[in-house]
Amino acid sequence: MTNSIDDIVDQADVIMLVGSNPEEAHPVIGMRIRQAVERGCRLIVVDPRDIGLAAQADIHLKLRPGTNVAFANGMVNLLIQLGLFDKDFVRERTEGFRIMQAQVEEFTPRFVAEECGVTVQDLVATAKMYGQAKRAAILYCLGVTEHTTGTDGVMALSNIAMVSGNLGVAGGGMNPLRGQNNVQGACDMGAGPDDLTGYQKVCDPAAREKFERAWGVELPSWPGTKATECFPAMLEGRIKGLFIFGEDPVRTDPDTHHVLKALEALEFLVVEDLFLTETAKLADVVLPGRSYAEKEGTFTNTERRIQRVRRAVEGPAGARLDTEVFTELMNRMGYEQPALTPAQLMDEIASLTPIYGGVSHARLDGEAAARGLQWPCPAPDHPGTPILHVSSFTNGVGAFSTPDYLRSAELPDEEYPLLLMTGRVLYQYNACAMTGRTTAANEVVGSSFIEINTHDAAMLGIADGDRVRVMSRRGQVEASARVSGKTNPGETWMPFHFQDGNANWLTHAALDRVSKAPEYKVCAIKVEKA
Amino acid sequence: MTHLSIAPRSADDARLAATVERFARRIEAMPPGICPVVAQAALLRAGADQTCGKCVPCRDGLPRLAALADKLAACAADEADLACARELAQMIRDTSDCAIGYEAAEAFLQGLDEFAEEYASHLNERRCAAGIGQSVPCETLCPAHVNAPGYIALVAQGDYAGAVNMVRKDNPFPTACAFVCEHPCEERCRRTLIDAPLNIRGIKRYAVDRAPANTVAPPPRSVDTARTVAVIGGGPSGLTCAYFLALMGHRVTVFEARRRLGGMMRYGIPAYRFPRARLDEDIRGIMNAGTITVRCGDAVDAERFREIADTYHAVYVAIGAQKGKTLAIEGADAAGVMSAVDLLGRIGDGDVPDFSGKDVVVVGGGNVAMDCARTAVRAGAKSVSVAYRRRKEDMTALPTEVEAAIAEGVEMRTLCAPAAIEADEQGRCTALVVQPQMIGAVKRGRPAPVAADKPPVRLSADIVLVAVGQDIDAAPFEECGLSTTWGRFDADDGLHAQGGPRNVFVGGDCQTGPATVIRAIAAGKVAARNIDEFLGYSHKLACGVEAPAAQPNDRTPYGRVELAERPACERKRDFEDVECGMSREEVLQECGRCLRCDCFGIGVTEGGRQQYA
Amino acid sequence: MPSIIIDGAALSAREGSTILEAARQAGVHIPTLCYLKERSAIASCRLCVVEVAGEPHPVPACSTVVREGMEVTTRSPLLAAYRKMALELILSSKGPALVACAQRADGELAALCHELGVEAPTDAEAADGAAEGTLELRFPFAQGKESPRVEGNPFLSFDPNRCIKCQRCVGACNAAARNHSLGTRRRGALTLIAAPFGPNWRASECESCGNCAQACPTGAISLKARGAGADLPAYGDASDGAPADLSASGTRRVRTTCPHCGVGCQLELEVRGGRIRAARGAQGASNRGLLCVKGRSASFDFVGAPDRLTTPLVRNRATGELEPATWDEALSLVASRLSQLRDEHGGESLAAFACSRSTNEDVYLFQKMARAAFKTNNVDSCARV
Repeated sequence: MTNSIDDIVDQADVIMLVGSNPEEAHPVIGMRIRQAVERGCRLIVVDPRDIGLAAQADIHLKLRPGTNVAFANGMVNLLIQLGLFDKDFVRERTEGFRIMQAQVEEFTPRFVAEECGVTVQDLVATAKMYGQAKRAAILYCLGVTEHTTGTDGVMALSNIAMVSGNLGVAGGGMNPLRGQNNVQGACDMGAGPDDLTGYQKVCDPAAREKFERAWGVELPSWPGTKATECFPAMLEGRIKGLFIFGEDPVRTDPDTHHVLKALEALEFLVVEDLFLTETAKLADVVLPGRSYAEKEGTFTNTERRIQRVRRAVEGPAGARLDTEVFTELMNRMGYEQPALTPAQLMDEIASLTPIYGGVSHARLDGEAAARGLQWPCPAPDHPGTPILHVSSFTNGVGAFSTPDYLRSAELPDEEYPLLLMTGRVLYQYNACAMTGRTTAANEVVGSSFIEINTHDAAMLGIADGDRVRVMSRRGQVEASARVSGKTNPGETWMPFHFQDGNANWLTHAALDRVSKAPEYKVCAIKVEKA
Repeated sequence: MTHLSIAPRSADDARLAATVERFARRIEAMPPGICPVVAQAALLRAGADQTCGKCVPCRDGLPRLAALADKLAACAADEADLACARELAQMIRDTSDCAIGYEAAEAFLQGLDEFAEEYASHLNERRCAAGIGQSVPCETLCPAHVNAPGYIALVAQGDYAGAVNMVRKDNPFPTACAFVCEHPCEERCRRTLIDAPLNIRGIKRYAVDRAPANTVAPPPRSVDTARTVAVIGGGPSGLTCAYFLALMGHRVTVFEARRRLGGMMRYGIPAYRFPRARLDEDIRGIMNAGTITVRCGDAVDAERFREIADTYHAVYVAIGAQKGKTLAIEGADAAGVMSAVDLLGRIGDGDVPDFSGKDVVVVGGGNVAMDCARTAVRAGAKSVSVAYRRRKEDMTALPTEVEAAIAEGVEMRTLCAPAAIEADEQGRCTALVVQPQMIGAVKRGRPAPVAADKPPVRLSADIVLVAVGQDIDAAPFEECGLSTTWGRFDADDGLHAQGGPRNVFVGGDCQTGPATVIRAIAAGKVAARNIDEFLGYSHKLACGVEAPAAQPNDRTPYGRVELAERPACERKRDFEDVECGMSREEVLQECGRCLRCDCFGIGVTEGGRQQYA
Repeated sequence: MPSIIIDGAALSAREGSTILEAARQAGVHIPTLCYLKERSAIASCRLCVVEVAGEPHPVPACSTVVREGMEVTTRSPLLAAYRKMALELILSSKGPALVACAQRADGELAALCHELGVEAPTDAEAADGAAEGTLELRFPFAQGKESPRVEGNPFLSFDPNRCIKCQRCVGACNAAARNHSLGTRRRGALTLIAAPFGPNWRASECESCGNCAQACPTGAISLKARGAGADLPAYGDASDGAPADLSASGTRRVRTTCPHCGVGCQLELEVRGGRIRAARGAQGASNRGLLCVKGRSASFDFVGAPDRLTTPLVRNRATGELEPATWDEALSLVASRLSQLRDEHGGESLAAFACSRSTNEDVYLFQKMARAAFKTNNVDSCARV
C-alpha cells in the first residue's frame, strides 16, 4: 500500500475498491471501510460479485471478470475528457502523459461499457465521484492481479491515481491489500528470483557484490525462474530438486493435475511444514517446522508495517526452529552460516537492506512497539514512512504506463459455457492448514460450493443446495450449488479453500506476462447436476 | 437502514394515548385517604416502568427503591431499610442521567420528609397513622362532608325537598352552594375512572331550583336548652353555626355590622353569580330553624365584645376578611383607585356605580378580581382589563370565571406587575403603569414571575380596582386577648379561640384567611358541634330523610353535562343570573353516572365514610 | 486547550475532551465500567460520577465535556458511596452466576469490587450460611429464573444471566466492528442484549468476529472454544486499557501479530499451562483493537493440533512410504541429495519456495540458503498464488 489504513479510513473522500472483498478476505479492513463509509466517505465497488460492501456502495460496477484494464483505461480517459485530472500534478511529477493519453483515447465510455458489461451512466458517475474527490484511495486485491493481464491492471489503476494526483496524499494512494500475513515481507526479504532484499536487483552487479561481500560467497547472477514457471521446468527436467518451505502448491496452485505431474517429475523434493500437507505427502523428506506462535521474528503487513511476532508456546517436541534447520543445512552443504537469533538476523537484514536500514527488534520492542515501523525506514532514528511518494517518486518522476487490454486467456465457449472465478470466504484461510483445525470454522463452512446465477441454474435444472459436477478442460470436482444473483448470468464463483472440490483442479495456469501470477480469476467451466 | 417516517417508531404510541389518558384519570381519581407511603410506592413503580433501561440508578435502582417502599408500605420494614431507601434514593437522584430517574427519587425523598410521621408510624407502630383509610371521595373532600351520593339519588328520584334537607344535614346553604361553590367534592370523583367527575353542583342547583330552600321545612328543633350563644358576623360561617345551634335547642343571637345578613355572599359575590333573591331563600330557611335573633347594623367593638362574652354562654366569632389590601405603589392614593371589597360592598347595599365611558383596570387574578371586572362591565365601563403579574393559568380564579370574563370583553393583561399609578393635576387616576414580567422558577409550588427586560407599559385607566386580597379586622378582639398569627385568629382543631375569654370560638375567613363559602360553612358547623359540647351537650340531629337504595353502576362512559350560560353579549348588560340550570333529562343522566360510593366499596364498611352523626 | 482543575491540580485539557479523557491523560484514575474507549460512552453505569464545582449533582466523567475553569473532584465520601451503591445494584441485578464472575480474581469486575469496597462477607455466620460466590450486597438478587443461553453460533455464546446491560458489546459491534448486528431488544427495565447468536444466526449479518466478547466485562458474551477455564470472564478488558491482572490464574499474555491475512492485526495470545487458550485484539495501528473471526478464533488451535509433525519423515525407497527418521538422518539426506544435484547439474537444477506465512527472518535466511548454499536464483514465495 502506498498509504496506511488509518489515513484512508480517517481522511479519504472516496474509496474505490477494485477486485477486493475485504469483509471476507481482510475482515478488519472491511470493518474499517464500513467505519469510513459511516463517516461519510463515498464507496465505489468494482467487482463482478455482489460482495457485502456492494450493498453500502454508492456505485457498484458489477463488471465482467477480466476487464479491469478496459475499465481503468476508460476511467483515465473519462477523467481527462471531463477535465477531472490534476494538471499541476501531471506536469510537475509525471512523465509519459501524452503517450498514455493517446493510448486511452480509444477506451470510450461506450466501448468500455460494452466490454465490461456496465452502463455508461455508471462509468461517468464513477469518474466524476472519483475525480471530484479531494482525496480518493484505490484499494485492490487479487481480483486485479490474478489475471493474465494482472500487471497491466495494476498499472492501469495506477494511472487513475496518478492522473488525478492521488498519490502521496493522505486518504489517497494505490493500495493493494496483500493476501497473506507476510507476503509483503517475503517479497521484501528477497524471496523472488530477480530481487535480493529490499528489491535490490540480482542483475545489478553492485548490489550482488554487496551481498557477496557480506555473505562471503559468490552468488549466481543468472536470472531465476518464478515459482509458477518452475512447474513446467520440472516437467522438462530443468529443475530436479525443490525445497518447499511451508507451501502447499498441490492445493493452492492452479491446475492441480499439472502441479502433481511436475512434482512427481522431480528427483528430490523436500517439504518443511507444520502438517503433512497434500504436497508433503509427495516429498522425499518432510521436515517439521515451527508455527508463528513458537518463534520470535517480524511480519510486514500490507501497509509495509513491520511488527513483532513473539514466542508464546514451546511447540511440539521434535520440531525445530526453521532458522536452525536452514543454518544446519547451509553448513552441511558447505556454506558456513553461524547460528543467529532472529534479532541478529534482522540486524543483518538491516545492514544489507536500505528500506529496512533502521529496523531492529530492539526498536520494535521499544519506542515502536505500538505502531511498528513502516518501510522505507533507512536509519535507526527514522520514524518510518506511512505514506509513499509524498514529495517525489522513488525514481524522481512517476511514469505513466501504457497498459494493453487483452481479454482473459480462456473465456467461456460452447463446450464450457460458464466463467469461473475463485476467492476466499470469511471463515477460512487459503488451504485451511490453519483455520481448518478450528472446529467451529469448519462447522460454519467446511466444504466446497459454487455460486451460480439463478438464471443459469434454472437453465441447468439446478436448485439451491444441489450437488453439482464442475468441469473444466483440466479437471472436475463436485460441490454444492449456491444459487443466487450474487454473480451475473454466465458467471460462477468458488472458494479455493476446500480439499473436497478444490477449485484448483479446474483453474487455468495461464500466467501474467510480467508477474507470472496465474489467472485464478477467470477460466471456462461447465456445470451439471451430480 | 431505517428511513425517516412521520409516524413514531412505535406504532402503538398513538393508540397508547388513550391508555395514558386512562392512567392519568386513574391518578386524578386517587381515592382520598390513601396511605402516602402506598402512593409513593406506586409513583416509584410507575417511574421504574418508565425507565428506558440504560442507566443503573434508574433501571436497577428504581425497582429496588420501589421494593423498599413496598416493604415500608407493608409495615414490614425496619430502620435499616428506611436508611437504605434514603441512601439509594439520594444516589438515584444525584447520579441519574435523566429526569425519569432523578425526579422519581426526588419525589420519594421529598415524601420521606413530607410524610415523616406516616413513615414513622409504619416503622414503629406497624400501621398507618390515624385517619388513613379510604372513604367516599365526594363526601370526604367536601369540607362540610355533605352526603352528596344521598342527595344525588334523591334528585334522581324526584325528591327535591328531600335532597335539600339531605344537604342541610351538613350545610344550611344548599342554594349558595348550588350557585357559587367551588365544588371540591368533584375533585376525586370516582366516576373520573370511567369518564369524568359528576357535575354535583349542577345537580344541587336542579334541586334548589325545584324546591327553593325557604319552602322546605328544616327538621324539628330540639327541646330548648335555655343556653345562649352569640354569633358575631352574619356571613356563611356565622349563620351556619347559628342554624345548627338553633336546631340543637340553643338560643342564638347574630350580631351583623352591615345592614343585611349574608356576609360576602351579599357584599362580595356579585348578584349575576348569585341572585340576591336566592340568597334570601337560604337565609329564610335558616331562620325557620327558630330561636335565632338577628341584630343587623350592630358592629362589635372591643368593649362590646367583652360584654357579649360575659353575657352569653358561648360566642362564635366569624367576622370574615373584610378589609381590602392596598397596593404599595406610587400614586395608589389617586382618585379613582378603589378596593374591590369596597366596590362590591357598596353594590351589596344596592349602590351600583356608573362607569360609563371609563377605562377600568382591575389588579389581581383571583375570583374577586374577576367579580370586579365583570361588575365593571355591567356598570357600563368603556373598557375593562385585568392586570396580573403571572400567567393566565396561574390565576387563582376558577378557570370558568376567567373564561366568562373574557367572553364578556375583559382583556387579560398577564405578566404585568403594577409599578405606579399616574394621575392628572386634579389627582385623578389616568393610567396604571405596569412592568412586564417573565415567568420564572417555581417557588413554593408556583412559578414565580420576575421582571422582564422590557420597558414599562402604560395602561390607560380612569378607575383602578385593587383586588389583591383581603385582611381581617381583628384589632378589637385582639384587644380582648384573642391571639392572632399573620392577622388571623388562632384556634385549636375544635375552633376554640386561643387567648381571651374561655367561651369564645372562632372560624371562617377570619381564622383561615380569605377562602371559600363552603369552608366557612364547614367551620360554622364544626363550631356549632363543639360549642354544643362546650355547653355540655352532645346533640344528634336527624335530617328526616334517608338516602335511597343504590342501583347497579351504569358503566357506559358519558360526557359530563356542563351548566350553560346566557350569551355573553346579553348577560353583560345586567346583573341577572348568568347561568342556566340543567333540564330534567340532563340531570337524570348526570345522576345516573353516580357510582354510589356510599353503597359500593368502602362506603358500606364501618368507618368507611366521613360523616358527623 | 481549556484549563481545568482535577483534584486540586491544574492542567490543560484537549478542547472537546471529556473529564474522563482529561483525567486519564493526567494520570488520575476514575473507575469506569460501561465506558469503552472509542467504542461506547453511554454513561449508563454511573461509576465514573465526579463532582464539578457549581453543579448541584455529580456528573458522569465519561460523557461530560470539559469547560474552561472547571473544578473537578474525583474522590469524596459521597462519590465513593454512590459508586459502591451503583456497583451493588449492578451485581445484584442478576443471580449468583454474575457474582461468581465478579469474584474471579483476574476479572475486571473483581478489580472494581476491590476498589469500590464491595467485599465478600467477613463474619463467620455469613460465610457459613452462604455458598461460595457471595458478596455483601445490600440488595437481594433481582432475577428469579435462569434465562436460557443463546448459543447457535459455533464461536460465540450469550448468557443473559451474566449480562449487566452495560452495552459495551453494542458499542463494539456498532461503533468499532461496524457490523450492526448486535443491539438491544425490548425496552425499559426489560432491556436485553440482542446477541445474534441464536439458532438463526446465519441469517444475521454477524461475522462472528467476537469483538463483542472482548468488550464484555462479565463473560456474558463469551467465546465457546476456549477450552478449560471457559468460565473465566472472557477478557476482562479493563476499559482504561490497563491489562487485567492475570497472575492469579497463571495466565500470560503475549503480544504478537496475527498469522492470517495481510492486515497485520495485533493480538495478544492468552497462554496458560503451556497452551494458547485465547486471542484478544490488542491496540495496533492497523486494527485499533479489533480482530476478525479468524484472528480471534482460528489463530491458535492449529498450533496445538494433534496432527502437527513432530519428527522428520523420509521416504522409504523400498515401500514408497514416508517413515519417521532422526533429524540427523533427514538433514544428511537433504544436504547430500541437494549438494549432489547442485554439483552435477548446477544451481539452476534446484529451486526453493519460501513461505509467505513465515517471518521475515525465516524468509531471509531461507533465500540466503537458496542463493548461497543451493547456488540458485530459483527462489520464490507464493506472492503470486
